[in-house]
Amino acid sequence: MGKREVFWGVVSCIVILLAYIIPYTFLTNVANWYGSFLLWVGVAFVIIIINLIITKDWRS
Amino acid sequence: MSNSLIWWGIIIYTVASLFIAYLSRSGKEVSMSGYFLGNRKMNGFVSALSYSATTYSAFMMVGLAGLTYRGGVGALGFEIIYFAGVTLVAFFGPRFWLAGNKYGYVTPSEMLGDRYDNKLVAVVIAISTCIFLIPYSAVQLAGVGYLVEGMTNGGISFTTGVIIATVLAILFSFIAGIRSVMWTDSLQALMMIVASTVVVLLIIQGLGGFSGFFGSLEANYPDSLTVPGNGYWSFATFLSMTVPWLFFSLSNPQVSQRMFMPSSLKSLRGMLLGFLGFGLVYTLVSVLWGFSAVIMFPGLENPDVATPSLLSSEFVPPVLGIIVMVAIIAAAISTIDSILLTLASLFARDVYGNMKPNVSESRQLAIGKFVMPIIAIMAFAFAELQLDLIAVLSVASSAGLTVTVPAIIGTFFWKRGTATGVITSVAVSGLLVLMLELSTLKPYGLGSGVWGLLVSTLLFVGVSLLTKPPVEKAEEFVTYINTEMKKSLKSSKNANRETVNKGY
Repeated sequence: MGKREVFWGVVSCIVILLAYIIPYTFLTNVANWYGSFLLWVGVAFVIIIINLIITKDWRS
Repeated sequence: MSNSLIWWGIIIYTVASLFIAYLSRSGKEVSMSGYFLGNRKMNGFVSALSYSATTYSAFMMVGLAGLTYRGGVGALGFEIIYFAGVTLVAFFGPRFWLAGNKYGYVTPSEMLGDRYDNKLVAVVIAISTCIFLIPYSAVQLAGVGYLVEGMTNGGISFTTGVIIATVLAILFSFIAGIRSVMWTDSLQALMMIVASTVVVLLIIQGLGGFSGFFGSLEANYPDSLTVPGNGYWSFATFLSMTVPWLFFSLSNPQVSQRMFMPSSLKSLRGMLLGFLGFGLVYTLVSVLWGFSAVIMFPGLENPDVATPSLLSSEFVPPVLGIIVMVAIIAAAISTIDSILLTLASLFARDVYGNMKPNVSESRQLAIGKFVMPIIAIMAFAFAELQLDLIAVLSVASSAGLTVTVPAIIGTFFWKRGTATGVITSVAVSGLLVLMLELSTLKPYGLGSGVWGLLVSTLLFVGVSLLTKPPVEKAEEFVTYINTEMKKSLKSSKNANRETVNKGY
């Protein structure tokens, strides 16, 4: 694995860990749309951006 | 809903799909990679739609909406964790693709058998996959039966629904192999995404728009917007359900085999990014359906009725309801036909091909085509019998397949891994998952997938360290992949630089 791959691998793991931790800690009492709902939708967008970056050099 | 409208919906879908399947043929395929991998020439857009259709079974629209109805927003988190896990394709996709092109692999288990230099590895993984995926297909078929019977109030029977789904799954996979599966999958995926998005917009509109919709949830059902919420999504449950799905893109061969198929890394990128865009819409739609049902139909005894209730509601025009219902049936079929094709390739390549020496490609293909309807009929029989064991195996399927993950990671990243390590970890942990599921035991509140993955990792590493690795093969394979990874990314960077220098 190159350095770039390792870096984005670590970033992805951190994002996934946060998707487990934050809703069960900081957001347990935020019963609004901007609580866990928004957080997980946000995580999905971050994941899409990470995938865009990792694969940006893939050519035919 | 009127039965004749539903019948018309099913007939139109069948005719359109068969037509598309027929068009997708591309001469007579005589090779395994031609029939099962589309000659490794699939384009990104169709691959993305088909990947989505294969992953998102009927479970998504019925089950995920039901899960949201029952436990609230945790269902979104569950699906987003799976979604994030697809990032594994960004790391493993090019490696699978490079290895497939170089060594001509047709199935992921064939790759593991070759890399660990032991055919028994391929046989064991192929058989364990069949043990879990045939029951999974059976439950999908049964799902179609229940859905059709439920929505027509018994007008179309359970058995009729199951027969329709079985026949179509066989036809779609038989006509042109992966090509007809991919093109009919794409039709289903497009139909589903458009119709279901319109339904969710209509319902939210009917419930007072975005602010009215969430306002009602916040005021009347605040538990549904947090975890653990009403208690359904305890952290242990969340972890147990998400762990097998986090690794789904690697562990389930009907999707991991897709990493062999794109025509180029660019197409692979198209598949991955297209799937992520599609998957996010799909996920949001299903979860919003579940929330809508919470507001509109509180007190349903069976959460799986949430979707049919919504489709029959006042906010959804009957024709749109029929389209979505047919799309849900199609979603089950698009999952089953892909699994059918993958299982046939596993049996022909890894079981038959390894048991009998010097079997030709055309012979393997003939065997693959022969077993496809047999597997479908087995799934049909299981669906009709509705045995408890089948339901257990189906639930255990994602957990049972997760036990192959350490061996798959080791294929590319750990030269010290051995065939004995793989066989022990897959066999013992697979049995452990089955025993836990059968006994409904959850040590420390954690499900079979978590234990299966933990034990398989320990066994793979431990047994490998005690046995002799295939030094030569591992060195050659891993060095090739690493060199090519550097080369392909470097050459594309150089191409970029040249483009910039030329002032394009």
